[in-house]
Amino acid sequence: MNFVMNYIRKEEWSPYVAGILLGLVGIAAVWASDSLLGASGAFENLAGLIGKAVAPAAFDNMYFNFIMPPGITYGVILLIGVFFGGMIGAATSGTLMWGKKGSANSDEQWKRIFGPQVWKRWALAFIGAIILEYAAGIAGGCTSGLAISGGMLLAPAAFLFIMGMFASGILTALIIYRKNY
Amino acid sequence: MTNFVLALVFGTFFGFALNKAGLTKYHKIVNVFRFTDLAVLKFMMTALVVAMSGLYALRSLGLLEFPNVPATYIVGNIIGGLIFGVGMALTGY
Repeated sequence: MNFVMNYIRKEEWSPYVAGILLGLVGIAAVWASDSLLGASGAFENLAGLIGKAVAPAAFDNMYFNFIMPPGITYGVILLIGVFFGGMIGAATSGTLMWGKKGSANSDEQWKRIFGPQVWKRWALAFIGAIILEYAAGIAGGCTSGLAISGGMLLAPAAFLFIMGMFASGILTALIIYRKNY
Repeated sequence: MTNFVLALVFGTFFGFALNKAGLTKYHKIVNVFRFTDLAVLKFMMTALVVAMSGLYALRSLGLLEFPNVPATYIVGNIIGGLIFGVGMALTGY
């Protein structure tokens, strides 16, 4: 028991142990609630909900009426859980930076490449997130919803997506890091 | 309603696993594309192997049915993946 508690307090688990945990959660989600784990769809549900309230005409299209209907869905609740789960994970290892100095831009490697300014971190996160969400909309899911959840059902879409993701990810990293790759 | 409670529980474990594997950190995500730290791949592939063997075994035993399998449309999946990789390497999502 002591060993387990000590392991939970560790900041970085072996990726194999964490992977087994995620795999079991994935099975449990299908078994108990007949749903797949995912993240990107929830943002589209919420965007649809806000969009329909603010500009109903602009959001009255195929995509938001049928493919991604707005509303508080299973995925939205799941995402709230992910937020708190991540916080619990950080809190148990004593690395929770909530409200602490430097928490808005805390990654050493990021600061070395792009600079220490907080606004840069936020701007790039915002632009990158738009790219991510747009791409997830085209592909039909993100890393968790398509690559992992689709992959565990052996959906061909998942493996096509992983192929594309790594091809362009490696290329982008090459461009960003150039000599330091 | 029970479904929402379950979603909250599964989400919490999901987020916890992501955090402990280090996938909430920018350098973990981008270093997999530089081949200097393969934790993301190890994590993803372990989860895939555990879940796919578990799910297919349980389905063979008739204990569960699969939900909607994500649709395959080859061009869309690949193009989506290609754009997604750019965002992933930029933000560390």
